[in-house]
Amino acid sequence: MIVVIANNYDETARALVARWAAYDARLFTCSDLSVCGWRCYLSDYKSSTVVIAGQEVAQEEISGVFTRMHGVYAEELVHIVPADRVYVAVEMTSFLLSWLSRLTCPVLNQPTSTCLSGPNWRQEQWMYAAAHVGIPVRPVRRRVALASRNVSEDESPMPGPFTVTIVGDRYFGSADEALTTQARRLADAANVDLLAVQFSGSEAGSFFVGANTWPDVTADEVADAVVDYLQRGRLR
Amino acid sequence: MILLWGLSADTPLAAVRDALEQQGHPIAFIDQRTVLDTEVELGVGLSVEGRVRTRTQVIDLSTVTAAYLRFYSSQQLPVVERAGQGSDAWHHAADVDDAMMSWAELTPALVVNRPSAMASNDSKPYQAALIRSSGFAIPDTLITTDPNAASEFWVRHGTVIYKSISSIRSIVSRLTPEHMERLDNVTWCPTQFQQYIPGNDYRAHVVGEEVFACEVVSTADDYRYATRQGATVEIRPYTLPKRIADRCVALTTALKMKVVGIDLRCTPNGEWYCFEVNPSPAFTYYQNTTGLPIDEAIARLLAGASPV
Repeated sequence: MIVVIANNYDETARALVARWAAYDARLFTCSDLSVCGWRCYLSDYKSSTVVIAGQEVAQEEISGVFTRMHGVYAEELVHIVPADRVYVAVEMTSFLLSWLSRLTCPVLNQPTSTCLSGPNWRQEQWMYAAAHVGIPVRPVRRRVALASRNVSEDESPMPGPFTVTIVGDRYFGSADEALTTQARRLADAANVDLLAVQFSGSEAGSFFVGANTWPDVTADEVADAVVDYLQRGRLR
Repeated sequence: MILLWGLSADTPLAAVRDALEQQGHPIAFIDQRTVLDTEVELGVGLSVEGRVRTRTQVIDLSTVTAAYLRFYSSQQLPVVERAGQGSDAWHHAADVDDAMMSWAELTPALVVNRPSAMASNDSKPYQAALIRSSGFAIPDTLITTDPNAASEFWVRHGTVIYKSISSIRSIVSRLTPEHMERLDNVTWCPTQFQQYIPGNDYRAHVVGEEVFACEVVSTADDYRYATRQGATVEIRPYTLPKRIADRCVALTTALKMKVVGIDLRCTPNGEWYCFEVNPSPAFTYYQNTTGLPIDEAIARLLAGASPV
């Protein structure tokens, strides 16, 4: 079973579940955490039972997880009394971090202590990491002042970005091999296997523009690569 | 220069500030109360540079060799709350916090502690797995939405406690028969239950390679809330067995932090359990009772950081 973890309003997640029906894909939302059936024993994790799409399943039935959620939002918890929604959202997010981090099947992307779907880096953090794996960068500048609330002032306008999408050991985007190598290096630095890296162009020597752990996965080839990864993990 | 960021009334921050001043070290203090007058500039490429301007100073962040962070959400300051959610002040407060945390994640200076490292404490079972990897025992734990599973776990262990999975409303309480009628409520949200571990409580503050431990004697299930539970608490200095002290230091390093407060319990059989690693310990509560010089140790740690 492939599990797609998403917020309630994520239509892309629903479309992916429909697309991957042949792989027994199911949609998991926060509502599943308010159903009797979760039994997670920290000393015997493999014997745990979980609830996916309203049904209780043995944890060992899960063969891959695609996480499209930073965390549970209080606004989604319409079935919880309003006074408790913030608390329950935090509890659910904290629980999911623990649960996802202990799964032995492929999880895309692995959660971090700050975000369920991988590192929730700021632009500055991506820029710093890119520079340190040898990608040409133009420094990003930020000035925070109450009189003028500007965020991220680049030195000069960048050309339109060109994107390389990394899915495990595969990449998408007709770019110079140098860029795909750099993108993979950045993904390794961030410890992720799903990443979209934007460059200023498609040729070698292009500058780093930005990175996103939530790339567009609606393209056929990317969606197929994602489900392939969830089936077998990353080949090393 | 050593940077301090937080509220001037914060007792641990004030204690470290006093210790640094007594030791004659140059410090720069960014008081969160003045967030509306605080400006931050950051430039990030291969290196990190920036400046912080307040009413009274301009701090070149590249000159900072160490930082002690005891920050709260600036949006919760009275002056920001009065301005209202969505106001320029509200957004500015969040932007200042975000810029400072971004710098704290990237600076090569010694940071006590980096925000991402502290975040492991936001999920107790997530942190528990890391604690177990360092060689400490952890209580048998069930997280469940099934009231029957909770009951079976209770029967199996005889005495069970429950506590939050996150760091919100995290008060340890023992399950009692009065809870039976509310046990069905676990269906609404995964709830954490743990076997009760009998024994003596200890708190170990790790500061770099140094360990300052004390014994906590209390009849409360959670001594931090002893008064609320109508119980008493006594705290005394204590010397941990070397192997336990070393394990505390190793755990702190594994969690990528420099200063932590570690909650331990030793059973009558001599088995050491670790319940939690607090990434921003309010150490003055223990220091004031025991005289352990934790503030001086933190000051030494900060002062001993190499120039960037």
